[in-house]
Amino acid sequence: MAELQGLGAELSAAEQAGVEIIAVAPDPNERSQKMAEGLRLAYRFVADPDLAVTRRYGLVHAGGGPDGRDVPRPATAVLDRDGIVRWFSASTNYQVRPDPADVRRAVHALSSPR
Amino acid sequence: MTSARLAALSVVVAVGAVAAYIALLRVPVVRNHPEAYVVAFAAATTLAALALRRSRRWYAWLALGLSTLLLVAGTWTNFVVARIPATPTALRVGERPPDFTLPDASGRPVSLADYRGRKPVILIFYRGYW
Repeated sequence: MAELQGLGAELSAAEQAGVEIIAVAPDPNERSQKMAEGLRLAYRFVADPDLAVTRRYGLVHAGGGPDGRDVPRPATAVLDRDGIVRWFSASTNYQVRPDPADVRRAVHALSSPR
Repeated sequence: MTSARLAALSVVVAVGAVAAYIALLRVPVVRNHPEAYVVAFAAATTLAALALRRSRRWYAWLALGLSTLLLVAGTWTNFVVARIPATPTALRVGERPPDFTLPDASGRPVSLADYRGRKPVILIFYRGYW
């Protein structure tokens, strides 16, 4: 969750209003949603309990969870208005998460002229 | 520096690295450089070895034992346990990823395609409530 909290601190209210943040996780997401509301973050938490979507996206860390369960590989992507990936980062070490400052820069780059 | 001081410094560096890493986990630069604690444990082990060379007292052995244990455990954790094999992913820069529909916290379906032409999206996959 640390990366989500960090992102909430990094993005201003206006930035959060201009972008949809969709957070995908396998666990029941009422807790996550409550936490986001507590932090005043504009997240949509969606549940992927059997990892079907996560697997389709190639983001499963096989046997990486407690008791050798499959868990998601931490990853963040920034998609532009047309749904094209403009920035992507996936971790190869579960202690490491995308830096919220990098995510913010990627979001800023969407609105600057190319 | 005396053996006792070197041994004490070794313990401070080793235990301090653990405390600092846990306390500053929310700071991206700390979280994203876990190898820093391995470097700190290596420094602590070196200090303990120097302490032991000055005198073979119990505290020098203690410092060496503690720092070596942390160095082995830290290296194992960071370079073996925490490794995630890089797999080919459907998220590629310049491409549109496959659509999906998943329920949100209130059970309403959320589709990635809903935002196309409307809003940029930050899509985050995370491991769960921790």
